[in-house]
Amino acid sequence: MHIGLLTFIIFLPLVMAFILMVLPISMKLTRNIAFLTTIVVFLLSLSIFLRFRLTDYMQFREFHPWISTYGIYYSLGVDGFSMIILMLITTLIPVGYLFLWKTRKSKGYWASMLLMQTGVTGALLSLDLILFYFFWESMLLPVFMIIGIYGSGNRIFSTLKITIYTIMGSLFMLVSILYLGVQFYNEFGVWSFQLSDLVQITIMSPTQQTLLFFGFIIAFAIKIPLFPFHTWLMQTYSNSPTGGVFILSSIMAKLGIYGIVRFVLPLFPHQYVEFAPYFMWLGVFGLIYFGVAALMQQNIKRMFAYSSASHLSLITAGIFSLNIYGMTGAAFLIAAHAMATGGLFLLVGTIEHDLGIRSISGLGGIAKKAPLLTVAFALMILSIVGLPGTNGFVSEFLIVLGLFKYNNFIGIVSATTVLVAASFMFWMFQRAILVKTDNNISKMKDLDKKEIIGIFGLAVVIIAMGLYPHWFLYKIEPTLQHYLVDILKVGVSS
Amino acid sequence: MSNYLLAWIVLIPFVSSVILGISYLYSIKVKKISNKFFTFLALLAPMSSFVLGVGFFFGLKNGVSEYLYEPYTWLGVDNYIINMGFLGDKLSIFMVLFITFIGSMIHIYAAGYMKEDEGYGKFFAYFNLFVASMLLLVLANSPLIMFIGWEGVGLCSYLLIGFYFSEPLNVVAGNKAFIANRVGDFGFLVGILFLFVYVGKLGFSYGALEEYVGIVPNHILVIIGVSLFIGAMGKSAQIPLYVWLPDAMAGPTPVSALIHAATMVTAGVYMVARFHFIYDLIPSVGVFIAYIGAFSALYAAIIAMRQTDIKKILAYSTISQLGYMFIAVGLGAYSSGLFHVFTHAFFKALLFMGAGAIIIALHHEQNIFKMGGLRKRLPLIYIVMLVANLAISGIPPFAGFFSKDEILLKAYEHQEYLIYGIGLFTAALTSYYMFRFFFVTFEGKNYISKNLEPISASMKIPLVILAIGATFSGFVGLPEVFGGTNMIHQWLSNWSVDSTHVENFKEIVLMGISVAAGLIGIAVAYVKFFKYDFNQDIKESGIIYNKFYIDELIDFLIIRRVRQISVFVSVVVDDGIIDKTVMLLSSGFINLGRRVGRMQSANTRAYAFFMLIGLSSFSLYLIFKLG
Repeated sequence: MHIGLLTFIIFLPLVMAFILMVLPISMKLTRNIAFLTTIVVFLLSLSIFLRFRLTDYMQFREFHPWISTYGIYYSLGVDGFSMIILMLITTLIPVGYLFLWKTRKSKGYWASMLLMQTGVTGALLSLDLILFYFFWESMLLPVFMIIGIYGSGNRIFSTLKITIYTIMGSLFMLVSILYLGVQFYNEFGVWSFQLSDLVQITIMSPTQQTLLFFGFIIAFAIKIPLFPFHTWLMQTYSNSPTGGVFILSSIMAKLGIYGIVRFVLPLFPHQYVEFAPYFMWLGVFGLIYFGVAALMQQNIKRMFAYSSASHLSLITAGIFSLNIYGMTGAAFLIAAHAMATGGLFLLVGTIEHDLGIRSISGLGGIAKKAPLLTVAFALMILSIVGLPGTNGFVSEFLIVLGLFKYNNFIGIVSATTVLVAASFMFWMFQRAILVKTDNNISKMKDLDKKEIIGIFGLAVVIIAMGLYPHWFLYKIEPTLQHYLVDILKVGVSS
Repeated sequence: MSNYLLAWIVLIPFVSSVILGISYLYSIKVKKISNKFFTFLALLAPMSSFVLGVGFFFGLKNGVSEYLYEPYTWLGVDNYIINMGFLGDKLSIFMVLFITFIGSMIHIYAAGYMKEDEGYGKFFAYFNLFVASMLLLVLANSPLIMFIGWEGVGLCSYLLIGFYFSEPLNVVAGNKAFIANRVGDFGFLVGILFLFVYVGKLGFSYGALEEYVGIVPNHILVIIGVSLFIGAMGKSAQIPLYVWLPDAMAGPTPVSALIHAATMVTAGVYMVARFHFIYDLIPSVGVFIAYIGAFSALYAAIIAMRQTDIKKILAYSTISQLGYMFIAVGLGAYSSGLFHVFTHAFFKALLFMGAGAIIIALHHEQNIFKMGGLRKRLPLIYIVMLVANLAISGIPPFAGFFSKDEILLKAYEHQEYLIYGIGLFTAALTSYYMFRFFFVTFEGKNYISKNLEPISASMKIPLVILAIGATFSGFVGLPEVFGGTNMIHQWLSNWSVDSTHVENFKEIVLMGISVAAGLIGIAVAYVKFFKYDFNQDIKESGIIYNKFYIDELIDFLIIRRVRQISVFVSVVVDDGIIDKTVMLLSSGFINLGRRVGRMQSANTRAYAFFMLIGLSSFSLYLIFKLG
């Protein structure tokens, strides 16, 4: 049986997790091997990026029967859009390891991290809806463990809340998937849950399609999260340990967006176009709403939770802008935001590690004690506020341009993005990091060597993507053009 | 000169900045690096760029029409292609020359000013990052690449204002500058986007824009013009976005000289000149710009009359002088505005550097009323400051006379008599408040008796050079009425518009009037302050001293309201309404579960179980009803 590259990328971490748990080896060795595994996976996906061809859109296909009776296949593939997310996931996870290196002292933690990686890459690369659903659900389990066992505050309640919320959303999606399968069976007489098959269903009425459209959208909207499905986020982020919040914010939230583009867009193109204006407005509303709410937060993680929600709303507006600029910008912002937010959460994690959990007013004066951390922190903030020269600017510019293309007014409103994040980020930076206060921060240590390599590596990518975005973007474009021209049939620049 | 060297004008200071930054971090974390290393690396950058600039200058002079270097496609989506491009034409090389020259002077000065500072290396890392961004701003070949420099200088301004970041006030001032600039940048971005949407497909270099700008409908062009100018309001501190500049004086004095007087704040003027092909088509917006400039000039001059902090006086005078520049570019006299940018860079940098020398000598005293009699104690500073004051007051033959007079003349020629009147009146106010500061500081009945800190040679030399510049730089724009050729207009002939010239006699009379206005201001200042006794109390109150309470008003009307809304959104709406609703729904599930399942307590499985039931029935419904 042929086993492809994508299978390796997905299952190598899982296999390693089992081996490491079974073998009687120390936590340190477990951690080191786990880290090596993520590096190997990174190199594998880099080779995919370099070998990705511009001519084709779905590549590195793998296709094996799984549960043949019900037409469930093990079907994988990567296109330009999933490739950029794959690259960012496999780049970010090793960076996360470098930061979590000193903090966690249990084998189970590192095994959970590996399991999580299998879950997210599996969900990302699946082209069969049942397979996707399987990974989609399984990627949450390790996160629950990480938050539930290693979290702080009211962590059990947070775990419960995120569980209820996301499982509830997922169930709507499951129902919709099953319903689609049944429809396919009714029309063609065989079972299939392959995306390429389900898009061919023609017998559904617009009402049915609309209901199913929202069935999917709810699941993804909760994960992103979109207004008003966001309240789990703030609590979960503030109670999660560094690793958990890092994964949730920089990786899982992006999969919500990914799900919309991968599945909702081709399955329900009419509804996608029809409801696009509402989602654009919802996105722009969320951008401002969450940005305003972030301003007065006392807890940094809670502030970043709002900040994330604000940016993810903008990304959502971008994917619904129905033109190539907004779509490309959204794809780029997925990567840009994941890097910057991920980096910020990791840095906040080291502050928490040294000083304990404190509100913003309990910090201050860190810049003098930890200059390297401060520099890294500042670079991440600059990307978040969209300073030209960082990847944040390129993506926000493209999204706003996309919205402008749709309508000048929404474009102007969305351009306030240059003000939204800047207003709270710099103020937070001032109070938490720069200005000296009476608070005792003597335990604060600067970044160690591993952390320096991780975070400044990330910073170099952030700036490279800002100074030469074209090199990173040109491989995504054909895929997005395919979505717009062949699937949505709206043309590249409607 | 090879085209690719254009990129090196920007790259040299950028690379220098990166090396300086890394070395500085190495120096504080691992092993101390001597200041000599930092000084060498820091000074090398602007000087090398200056040399390159001179090379391009001669190239252009010898007939090359423009240099263009486009190393790679920066962004290309669909048929929107933006190249990373550098354009060396007469305007950008003109800007490069004075930025790198003044920059080099201020670098030398700063090497003396900052020598005791523990953040020496960091200072120059930021400084060169600023120079690189500023040069990118002027050399860019497309509005978007310009925007990288545009925000880059804003970032450096933020970093340098908050250079001593342990003090809250400095960081607050930095934040204020950044946010105010961002408000401007919002406008700038909207302007760019409108341009992009309407003509972007045909290319987005200045050349392409100039060629195709005609296809943009006029009302959109007005939006574009105004939006772009909002960006200029922020960067160049014009009403109403000027509020950040006086507070920006919290930064070290060389920063004020380089960024907040000579170079960055003139970016707005440059931008309007660069987009002249847009503003030429919408003269009504131009007149609006001129009025904003005139009122900013007047307003800032009024506030400057009552200030006591030496740097604040200079900051308001910068706003005021920038106002003059906008009068010129608004009326389409771009080369006249740029001429004033040029002379202003000399005398304003000189004023700040002189002020910095005084501040150092007096152990960080900035209140002019605590100074006095410095003429005898600091004779060199006295002479250079006298030159600078005469220059800004528009007294011939010093530099400011030629450029300011030309702007007033242009206003007169355009028959904007109100603007002319405001400009003339402001000229009188300018010489008044400048000589008020000058007499109080250097003359007066009292003498500072305490020991003065010695001023190092590296601070003195640039002062002398700039004083020579402030004396003679006006002659490059010698009015033709004196029989010379106006080299500025010749050089920037693409940016100078021929308007109806007044006759020579009238021009001489108008000159006489503006010199008279300057002299009146000096005379009033002389009477009031030449024999000033600093033991008498200074009235530090009143509406003018308090800058018309604008800061307080902004705080009350905007900042506090936004914070209230923020609390309302997160506490009332989010926690109160949305989360409550959600939790109520789920506790509905729990209660239902309790009753139906007679369970003792709710747990995750219970939730999942009951939802599963609910959703299964829903799906059954869907399947049977709809399927």
